[in-house]
Amino acid sequence: MLHAKIIDLSKEKIKPENAEEFIASSKFGASIVFYGTVRENNENQKVTGITYDSHDQLVIKSFKEIYNEADQKLNIKEKSVFIEHVKGYVGLGEISIIIAVACPHRSEAYDLSRFIIEEIKKRSPIWKKEHYKNKESEWLKGNPIQPN
Amino acid sequence: MKIKIELFGASRDLSNKDFLELNLKNKSSIKDLRETMIHYVDQKFKGNENYKKIIETSAFCSEDNNIVSDSYQITKDQKIGIIPPIGGG
Repeated sequence: MLHAKIIDLSKEKIKPENAEEFIASSKFGASIVFYGTVRENNENQKVTGITYDSHDQLVIKSFKEIYNEADQKLNIKEKSVFIEHVKGYVGLGEISIIIAVACPHRSEAYDLSRFIIEEIKKRSPIWKKEHYKNKESEWLKGNPIQPN
Repeated sequence: MKIKIELFGASRDLSNKDFLELNLKNKSSIKDLRETMIHYVDQKFKGNENYKKIIETSAFCSEDNNIVSDSYQITKDQKIGIIPPIGGG
């Protein structure tokens, strides 16, 4: 079971309670909720916030592919996964992504949570523009995507 | 033919709109589009090397949301997305 969504912060807020509610089930004995948040330092620069941009359709497509690949690569069939990523301006300490997973056992839940965030970093078309205290904002360098 | 290029991430600096409109010859490929965009940077931004690098390292996305190769043929009135190197989370 998968929930995948881009939250446009100009229209709505990201809500952790939605993640907890989605993955709650007595079928599962292990749940992990991962939050990515904006931190105040990056490469010795004083960060004041980040603006996230995304290609929404491609991002949702990549979330679905990552979810399906977890079946083959991790052999985790029984699972519940909630992924939301924001787009727009995010202040210090605020949430940019929620990945909530629930599985029958804890080892699967840890593996799955880690697998999802690492794959998102590699292949979901999301970009960050970092804002600084003492210099002009900058798009962060990322990883080029290759055609399949 | 006129092509609309949707801008994302660092490529947004190429325009104050969400897209660029460029003229391409009929039967152009992504490779041709890439060259046309670099030519646009030469003219509009005095050959800004950072902008050229963004174009050179970007992937491109078809209207049906597939990342396409440089040989992909662009048809008339198609909307293409430019996908600069990524890094969310």
